[in-house]
Amino acid sequence: MNAIRPLVVLTRANIVSFLRDRTALFWTLAFPVIFILLFGAIFSGNSGTTYKVGWVDEDGTPASAALRVTFAAVPLLELEDGTLDASREAMQSGTLQGIIVVPQGLGAATQVAGAGGGASGGPAVTIEVYTDPSQQTSSATIQQIVSQVVATANVALTGSSPMLGVDSRTLQTQDLTAAAFLVPGILGMALMQLGVFGAVPLVAQREKLILKRLGATPLPRWTLVGSNVVLRLLIGLVQAVLIVGIGIAVFGVQILGSLLAMIALVVLGALAFIAIGYVVAAFARTEEAANGIVQVIQFPMMFLSGVFFPLELMPAVLKPVAVILPLTYLGDALRQVMVDGTPLVPLPVDVLVLTGWFVVCLFIAARYFRWE
Amino acid sequence: MNVQTDVPVIEVAGLHKRYGEVHAVDGVSFDVRRGEIFGLLGPNGAGKTTTVEILEGLRKPDDGTVRVLGIDAAHHADRIKERVGVQLQTAALYPYLTVEEVLDLFRSFYAHSRPLDWLIDAVDLGERRRAQTRHLSGGQRQRLSVALALVNEPELVFLDEPTTGMDPQARRSLWDLVLRLREQGASILLTTHYMEEAEQLCDRVAIMDHGHVLEADTVDTLVSRRFKERAVHFDTLPGFGPADLEALPEVRRAVAENGETVLYTADVGTTIGALLERMGQAGVEPQNLGIRKATLEDVFLDLTGRALRE
Repeated sequence: MNAIRPLVVLTRANIVSFLRDRTALFWTLAFPVIFILLFGAIFSGNSGTTYKVGWVDEDGTPASAALRVTFAAVPLLELEDGTLDASREAMQSGTLQGIIVVPQGLGAATQVAGAGGGASGGPAVTIEVYTDPSQQTSSATIQQIVSQVVATANVALTGSSPMLGVDSRTLQTQDLTAAAFLVPGILGMALMQLGVFGAVPLVAQREKLILKRLGATPLPRWTLVGSNVVLRLLIGLVQAVLIVGIGIAVFGVQILGSLLAMIALVVLGALAFIAIGYVVAAFARTEEAANGIVQVIQFPMMFLSGVFFPLELMPAVLKPVAVILPLTYLGDALRQVMVDGTPLVPLPVDVLVLTGWFVVCLFIAARYFRWE
Repeated sequence: MNVQTDVPVIEVAGLHKRYGEVHAVDGVSFDVRRGEIFGLLGPNGAGKTTTVEILEGLRKPDDGTVRVLGIDAAHHADRIKERVGVQLQTAALYPYLTVEEVLDLFRSFYAHSRPLDWLIDAVDLGERRRAQTRHLSGGQRQRLSVALALVNEPELVFLDEPTTGMDPQARRSLWDLVLRLREQGASILLTTHYMEEAEQLCDRVAIMDHGHVLEADTVDTLVSRRFKERAVHFDTLPGFGPADLEALPEVRRAVAENGETVLYTADVGTTIGALLERMGQAGVEPQNLGIRKATLEDVFLDLTGRALRE
């Protein structure tokens, strides 16, 4: 028997079935899209791409006014003048995301510096920056901007020629941290759900004796498994295109790494989670049981793998859990390849862990999977 | 393909299959000849389906020999699958595919397959050919699963309770199809618990219960071997119960069930004459008086002590 034709026909039948099943379509394609739109909007802040920052000028000299002009020129910042107390209150109530305080003495210090006496010791004036560490994106961005501006201002004030210009690209990517962080994470999450949820239709097909009926035909079993895996990989690639597309189009995420490496990771991640799905299908007897097990697996994984926030922010007790979850490594790997994210572990380690999950689950599934 | 007409298409000897404590098939032996329709009869749990699934290569027997089309089914199931057709009792189908798509899918699994239109016509699904299978009625689904058993023009067709859930018209039309398949040279093994189906279709039947084949032969032989008498039956009348009529000439046994009195007699004429005379004296007439042969149902009742459909 020609071995390829049944594989093609069966895969086509699977695709047609999938496209006609609105529930499956929603969960695998619409859900991740809604997710990224929703969380992208939330984490990017509702003020678009600008941060409202309180400007507390305790100096009141032309030098502090000049500094204000410099800060106001940063497109990401929107300055709100006020006293320290008022600004603090505004930050507590959430209207401000940070406060910049210019202490008394700036004007005097610049005059000294202008007279050529600036080489002595540390900085004469320290600008204070208040940010909310729980809002890690805005916090990091504001601090980054302030240090950039201060560095530039230092050069200008001391009159020496600038040694470095402001790296505007760094500012740009910093601005997009939230979406750039989320896009690879949500892609990983979608692949996880795609693979793990694959257990449910598989168990349903076994329960309804479809697998048994196919077993009575000359169709080799590898063809059956193969067409299933091909279908899931295709859906995974469609998910990747959708999620990355939205990341680029809506949130302006720059994909920095190699497309080929990204596709390879999508395939590897999908395979690992498909294998986990088969393990679930091996042990679940009914469709309902499979659904329950899948939820138990996917919910903690969704929240403990650093999809939505970096692992450093996770309570210490939960960190060991994150360390064993495969999604942690898929998210980390995708983040490294797609947006040049800070590695949690080196990329080869991510790949190794995912491959390990795939191989181990493959063996367990092959050993315990039942066709009826 | 070596067609040897004298070699049985199915040879089963000393077949055993256990599931834990349950001895589902307990020493079953029978043969099915080429070109015959063979029926496996028995109540639920008799071991019919397990036996058939071993023949189909879906299960491995614990003990015994099974040859299908001359091939050892326990060890070379793959070589059988191309040449047999299988209809499973409750196989649901791809719910989102249409009738045509499911048939085409299965056609792609075989080196040789029947034309799509032949299959659709054979089970009268022309009007539903573009319907997704989840929208089919139970009977239509059953017909589709029969069509799937015929996709590869099999030499041997297994039908496991094929007419369950069908209306009387669909059942008749399936019987016609089965007879037509036999005319074209196919052999058919079917399981059923419809007596009428076995009587209408089967050249031979095997009666199974508790994992055993109790008896196997033609329907006529099974019936006449056991019941030489005919049954005279009429609506039960007060004063004319079994106890009152047992003494009539030639009556071997008298029973009353479901408002009917049945007299098993060795001579119908003598018994009816005596019955009418007795009733005439009392000034009454029997209602719905009739005569019939004993049926497979009677054989089954006698062999197993219970009705087939319960």
